[in-house]
Amino acid sequence: MRRLVPTGASLAAAALVLGGTAAAARQPTQQIVLPGPVPYPTVSPPVTGNVALPRSYLLRLGIASAQRVLVGVDGTGRAVALHVQQRLVVSGKGDYQFAIGGPVVDVRAAPGSESEPGLRTDQVLWAGFSPGRKVLAADITLRAAPVARYLPVRLHIGRDGDRVTLTVVNATRAPGVAYTGFARTADLATLLDSTRRASLSGSRLQAAFATFSGTVHARKTAAEAPLRVVGELSLPGGRPVRFARTLGDGAPLSLTVRAHGTGEPKVLLRVSPAPVVRLLRPPGAATWTAAVLKHSLPPAFLLRRLFESRLRLVRADQYQSFLADPDADGVSRSVYVYATVKAAPAPVAEADTSTGGGNDILVIVLVAAVSLVAAAGGIVVWAHS
Amino acid sequence: MLAVDVPVTGSPYVAQTIRNGVGLAVDRLDRGGGVTVGSRKYKLKVKLYDNHLSARRAVEDTREALKAGAVAIVTDGTGVPATWQLAEKKGVPIAITYDGATGLVNPVTRPNVFRIAPTSHGIALRYAEYLIPKGMKIGLLHDDSAYGQEGASDLDSAFSENPRSVALRMTLPAGATDLSAQILRARRSGATALLVWGQPSTIAAVLTAARTIGWQVPVYTPPTGSDPFIRQRLADHPDWVDGLTFASGRMTAEVGPAPFQSFESQYEATYGPDKVGVRNSHGQGVVQPPEFPMYSYDFVNLLIAALTHAGSVDPHKVQAALNQVTTQGANGDDRSFNVHNHEGVIDDDIYFARFHDMTYAPVTDDPLSSTLPKIKQTR
Repeated sequence: MRRLVPTGASLAAAALVLGGTAAAARQPTQQIVLPGPVPYPTVSPPVTGNVALPRSYLLRLGIASAQRVLVGVDGTGRAVALHVQQRLVVSGKGDYQFAIGGPVVDVRAAPGSESEPGLRTDQVLWAGFSPGRKVLAADITLRAAPVARYLPVRLHIGRDGDRVTLTVVNATRAPGVAYTGFARTADLATLLDSTRRASLSGSRLQAAFATFSGTVHARKTAAEAPLRVVGELSLPGGRPVRFARTLGDGAPLSLTVRAHGTGEPKVLLRVSPAPVVRLLRPPGAATWTAAVLKHSLPPAFLLRRLFESRLRLVRADQYQSFLADPDADGVSRSVYVYATVKAAPAPVAEADTSTGGGNDILVIVLVAAVSLVAAAGGIVVWAHS
Repeated sequence: MLAVDVPVTGSPYVAQTIRNGVGLAVDRLDRGGGVTVGSRKYKLKVKLYDNHLSARRAVEDTREALKAGAVAIVTDGTGVPATWQLAEKKGVPIAITYDGATGLVNPVTRPNVFRIAPTSHGIALRYAEYLIPKGMKIGLLHDDSAYGQEGASDLDSAFSENPRSVALRMTLPAGATDLSAQILRARRSGATALLVWGQPSTIAAVLTAARTIGWQVPVYTPPTGSDPFIRQRLADHPDWVDGLTFASGRMTAEVGPAPFQSFESQYEATYGPDKVGVRNSHGQGVVQPPEFPMYSYDFVNLLIAALTHAGSVDPHKVQAALNQVTTQGANGDDRSFNVHNHEGVIDDDIYFARFHDMTYAPVTDDPLSSTLPKIKQTR
C-alpha cells in the first residue's frame, strides 16, 4: 500500500495546525475564495494587439473555440513564425459581432467556414447572423516576435559534434497566492475531490471557497500549466527519436532528447495543456474523502495540495486560449504544434495583404508537419475533437 | 467637398434616396459644428452630379469632382468600372450605395471602392439557401438590362450545385409591358416559383402576365421588388402584388426597431415621407421606409469617422482609415469596412419580405427574417 510520508516541514506544519485546532475552532470563521476559474495569473495568453477592440455583440449566443497554434522554429529552437487556425462554433440564434485581438498580419477563411473574416490592424473581425449554429474558421498569421513569450514551451536545439540535443522547457510557470490556516479536513477532502473530477473530465473549474477558522496567512507561490508533450527529433537518414512526457503536475518542467547524426535536425512537437493528475491522485484510496478516513493526512498538506492543483488548472485553462474566445464562458481548446522551418519568412507588410507567399508556404509546411504527427501519434486534427 | 453622382434624370427615385441620405448625415454634422480633423474643424459641402445612368457621363462627373477636390464620391454605382481608376489615382474613395452588382467591389484590385448596399452575390446565395429546401421548381428569369444580366450570372452560380431545382432559365426584354408569351412558357416548363431578376418594370410585367392567366405562382425578386414603381403600376390590382417576395438588407438590428425608427423620424422631418402613391385596403397612404437613404447616411458617418481617425483630409489617408473605423448604423448595427471586405452589408444581413395589402413584412419561414419586426408603412 502506498503511504504518504510527511516531510519534516509538513510534519511541523501539521503539528502547528493540529496544536492550534482547538483554539482555531473557537475563532471566527472566514471564507477564502479558491483559485479558479479566473482570474488568470497573467494578462496573456490570450494574446492581444496594440489597439482597443470594438464592442462585441453576442446576445444569447455561445461560442466554443478550438485552436491549432502552428509555431515555426529555426535551427536553434527559436520561434520565428506563428499561425493560428481558429475554429469558432457559434451556437444559438441571433446576431454576433466581435473582434479577436492579436498582432495579426493576415487572415483568411479556413475550410469549413460559413463566413468570411475581416481584417483590421491587430484584429480579426467576425459579424453576422447565426441561424442556430454557425462555424467560423480562420487561418491567422501573427507576428511571432511580440507573442513568442506566451507560447507554452521553449525549445533549445544544440549540436555538439554528431550529437544533437533538444531541450523542451515548460515556460508557463507564473506566480500565485496560496493560503495557510486552519480548515476542516473533511471540507478540504471534498474540495479536492470536486477539483479532481473537474480536472479529469476536462471541464473548467467551478468557483469554490474554503472555510478557515482563525488567522489566515497568504503566501506567494508559483504554478505551471501541466503540458502533455509528444514529439520527435530526427536527423537525415536516422530513425526519429520519439518522446511523450508530461511537463509539470509534479513531474520535471523540462525534458532533454538526444539524437546522433549529421545534417539539419528536424523537430516536431505537439503540446497541449494537460489536466492535473498526479497531484490530485488520492493517496491509497479512490477519493480524497476516503483517503482522509483511511489515513491521517495533515490538513496543511491537503490545503497546499488543493491550492497548488487549482493554480495549475487555472494556468492550464489559460493556455487553452492562445487567441481569445469571445465568449468568456465558452469551451476553449488549444493545441500547439512546433516544427522546424527552413528560414524565417519576412513579415508581410500590413498594407500589402495581397502577397504572403512565404507565409502560405510556411502554413503548408506546418500543416504537413501536423499531419505527420497525427499519423505517428493518432493526434486528431482539431484541438477539441 | 463630398461629391454625389447619381442618376437624377435616369432614375430619380434612386437619386433621391442617395441624395437625401447624404444630405441628412451632412446636416447632422453641420449642426454639431463639423468634423474635427487633426486640430481643425471642417464642414462637408455636398456637390450633386447627374450621371444620367450613363457610364460616360459618370466619368465626366468624376473628373469634375476630383478637380473640385472631392474627399469622396458617393454613387449609385453607375460607371464605377470606368471611374474607380480615375479616383484611385488621387486616392479618393468611391462609395456605392445602391448597385449590388458583383465585380464592382474588390478590395485588392479596387482598393478605393466601398459599398453599403445588399450585394447581388449575397442575395443570390441567400435565395438558394431559402428556396432550394422548399423543393420548388424555380424559373430563373432575368431581363436584358445590365442589372438583370449580372443578377442572372449570380443566380447561375448560386444554383449551380442544385440544377434539379431549376425548371428553366429565361431572358426577358427589359421595358416590355407584355410578357404573356414568356410567362406561358415558364408555366409549361413546370416551374412552381419564379425568381425574377430585373428592373421594376420587368417585375410588374411578370406579375401582370402571370396573374392575368390566373397563375398564382409565387414570385421572388431582388431589392427592385420593393420599388414603389411596381405598386404604382399594379395599383388597380393590389391582389397581384400580394405574395410578391423580395430580398434586401435588414432595416433593423437585434437591438430592435428603435434606431431605425429614430432615423426614419429624422428623415421624414427633413424630407417628408417617401410616398409610394398607393393606398392600402383601409384607405391609408403607403410610404416607403428609407432603407436605401440609410446606406448613404451610414457611409457619410463612416467617412466622418475616417476623417477623424486619419487626422488628415489627404484622400489616401482617409481611404486607409475607412478600413479601420466603425460607426453605429442607422439600423442600430455597427457599420464598417476592413482590409479584406469593402462591403458594408454582409450576406447574413439579407432578409426576405413579402407584400400584403401594398405593404411588406419580413417572412416567417427564414431564420433571420423571422426575428425582424415589421416596419410601419402607412401614414
